[in-house]
Amino acid sequence: MLEVRDFSAGYQGNDVIHDINFQVEPGEAVMIIGSNGAGKTTLFRSLCGLLPHSSGRVLFDGVDITRSPAEQIARLGLRFVAAERHLFPRMTVRENLYLGAYPRRPDPETLATVLELFPRLSERQRQHAGTMSGGEQQMLAVGRALMSNPRLLVLDEPSTGLAPLLAQAAYQALRVMRERGLTVLVAEQQVPLAMAFSDRGYVLENGFIRLEGTTGELAANPRVRSAYLGVS
Amino acid sequence: MIASILDGIVLGFQFGLLGAGLTLVYGMGGVLNLAYGQMGVIAAITASLAMDAGASVLPAVGLGLIAGGLLGLLLDRTILRPVYRLRDEARVLLSLLLTLGVAFIVDGFLNWRYPLKALNLFISGGAIEILEVPMRRGSLLASAITLVIMALLFVFFRYTILGQAVRSVIEDEEGARLVGIDPNRMMRLILVLSGVLAALVAITRSMVIPVDVQAGFPITVFALIVAVVGGLGSVPGALLAGLILGIVNSIAASTIGTFMSLVILLAAAAVTILIRPSGILGVAE
Amino acid sequence: MSEHASATGTSAIGGTEPGVSRSLPSLLGFIAVVGAALALVPLWTGDSRVLMGVAVLGLTFACYTIGFNVIFGSTGQLFLCVGALAGIGGYGAVILADTVGLPIIAGILLATLAAGLTGGLLSFVAVRRSLGVIFTGIVTLIFSLTFEALLLGLGELTGGENGFLIKSGADSFAREQIPPYYLMLTLVLIFLLAHGLLRRSFIGWAFRALRDDEVAAALAGVDIARYRVFAAFIGSAMLGLAGATYAFTEGRISPTTFEFATIDVVAMVMLAFGGIGTLFGPIAGAVTFTIVDEVLIEIGQLRHVAYGALIIALFLWMRRGLLPTAAELWTKNRRNEWKK
Repeated sequence: MLEVRDFSAGYQGNDVIHDINFQVEPGEAVMIIGSNGAGKTTLFRSLCGLLPHSSGRVLFDGVDITRSPAEQIARLGLRFVAAERHLFPRMTVRENLYLGAYPRRPDPETLATVLELFPRLSERQRQHAGTMSGGEQQMLAVGRALMSNPRLLVLDEPSTGLAPLLAQAAYQALRVMRERGLTVLVAEQQVPLAMAFSDRGYVLENGFIRLEGTTGELAANPRVRSAYLGVS
Repeated sequence: MIASILDGIVLGFQFGLLGAGLTLVYGMGGVLNLAYGQMGVIAAITASLAMDAGASVLPAVGLGLIAGGLLGLLLDRTILRPVYRLRDEARVLLSLLLTLGVAFIVDGFLNWRYPLKALNLFISGGAIEILEVPMRRGSLLASAITLVIMALLFVFFRYTILGQAVRSVIEDEEGARLVGIDPNRMMRLILVLSGVLAALVAITRSMVIPVDVQAGFPITVFALIVAVVGGLGSVPGALLAGLILGIVNSIAASTIGTFMSLVILLAAAAVTILIRPSGILGVAE
Repeated sequence: MSEHASATGTSAIGGTEPGVSRSLPSLLGFIAVVGAALALVPLWTGDSRVLMGVAVLGLTFACYTIGFNVIFGSTGQLFLCVGALAGIGGYGAVILADTVGLPIIAGILLATLAAGLTGGLLSFVAVRRSLGVIFTGIVTLIFSLTFEALLLGLGELTGGENGFLIKSGADSFAREQIPPYYLMLTLVLIFLLAHGLLRRSFIGWAFRALRDDEVAAALAGVDIARYRVFAAFIGSAMLGLAGATYAFTEGRISPTTFEFATIDVVAMVMLAFGGIGTLFGPIAGAVTFTIVDEVLIEIGQLRHVAYGALIIALFLWMRRGLLPTAAELWTKNRRNEWKK
């Protein structure tokens, strides 16, 4: 579904990520793990059209989206939940969700699903997004992205700032959506969470992909264990 | 006194809508459009020329509104392109200077080609009494139209998908992009809308007093004062500030004199900037 | 460019100036050359009263532009009240001389001081309230418009819309055209010298540091507030002095002499043309613009179309100023030719 070839990107001429190659097949859950500063956010932001790239190609279901702007990519069925969430603070939860379905009217079934997944949102429908807690905002960001029935959901460190229980709940919601056919690509610093969720993964270090494999393979890898799982 | 207040309310509605058009463009795209008054004047003159050519009032007014909107579209497509490449203060500054240039071009051309032209929509019929004050029909019609437009704007932004999409860009541009909204198209829409609003105010104003080719810069100045006092970027703020300033202007003009009432309005804007730059309803930084 | 430069907004418009430090003799030399060149102008305009009037006005605008350059080019304060400050000088001096009865010189000096203090006060308020470039511009624009409204409103004092004929000094100046020219030329040269000395002094260094990177300048111990206010004071005093002098040479005064549309816009274009922040930019801009304006006077209001187009062209493509950009291009071409 998503194919990334020899992709490099960065800021003002200095590449942060280099020659990235990976792919995501339909129905999969793929993780990109790495420590802070490895380049996960830069990778995702340039993949999703928010940052320019310097070289390489990105194909989404065969369509070349390398140079496409973010709004166009979103309309193609690839929804990105950024680390900063980018909610609409002075608009209500409801309005935020509805806009997720732009330009269409929100599909009642989809809305019902999202509110089921995140009961807290259901309670606070008329509350302004800016007044909610971090955890609730994260749920709203994910819910908003789901409102368009995307084919691929890309999330940048969804567990950031969330209490462990909330982070688990978020991933649980994603699991439910996977059962309905959603493909997920997630970048995570909290590796155990990502591993519990994903089928396959890539390890990003200093802007390069150093390792790849199934979750099982990576979990058994000594380097991964010592660097990211705290096992010596 | 009551007459002054009622006149002030009529003026206030116009001020409010005028300021709203300017503040929308600023709130949305960080652009200060100093050619705003010229948008209104072009609309008025277009309508006037159309009527000279034999058109009846409604089509002429329609043409005027289109003219205003077209100027907005033109600005977006041409002059503002390089402005959009900048951010924050640099963007405001360049937009200010470039639109000032456009204002001079339009103003100069109109003054050269149609030096004595003015639009004057005279509404016939006797005066209608409100609170025992005889109000001219022109004033009442202008106010009614302005109120209807304000209501339409409210509905648009609150309840339509497009209106909410516009708001979302103002709230968080990246967030809007992430849900598939194109900020550039929204900006274009808003610029056209602001042109139409300027046109509306100019044309309805001509029901009260003739609007001539010299009105461009005064319109911009008033719009700026209202927008600043209401809080740059806040449409409700502009509407409220417009009403207040309209009443203040009217009372001051009848008691102290027209020049001094202008000074008071200017002072109000200055005081706002110095004491509470975010304006009446703006969000304090 | 650091973010801080854009905080003052000048980097968007173009404010870095080439080759600043000239030695004192070369500074004096340049000024002398400019003075000599301009001194020759009456040789071919001297016969025409109209042309001499234009020339005097041109020099006056050169003064205005230098003043604006000191305020904006040096410290990035967008003062959209050049006309009003000149008007404080003009109306102030004239009222003091005619109505109050002071000697002309005293009137001019006091009015100059008043203009300087007003500008300094505006700057002080702007600094105290941390007004950015935009709000400073809006506040000073409001000041301009208020000043214009007051001129019209306080008719008894100011003569209202029509202004009045100046009685004091009517014998010395009003009939002549050539002495006023050299008087304004003297002012121009004095202003140039003052600006030049300012740039070369520690104050000038502080101005540049401040414009380029406010934060670094603050860390280096530059008291931003003090230098800003000082620059505003000096520049405004220049404007007041020029306005006062011009008023007496004209023999009459009216609100249109000092309107925003007449003065500020033209001064901005002249400065943008010649190079914001440069020493001789104002002169080059004023001379060019005066000539162009005279040539275009035939087409009446269409001139404004030309000015509008000029403003757009200047700030779109030649942010450093038309002449500096042309100079850059010329040296680039020469270097390229050299390589061949």
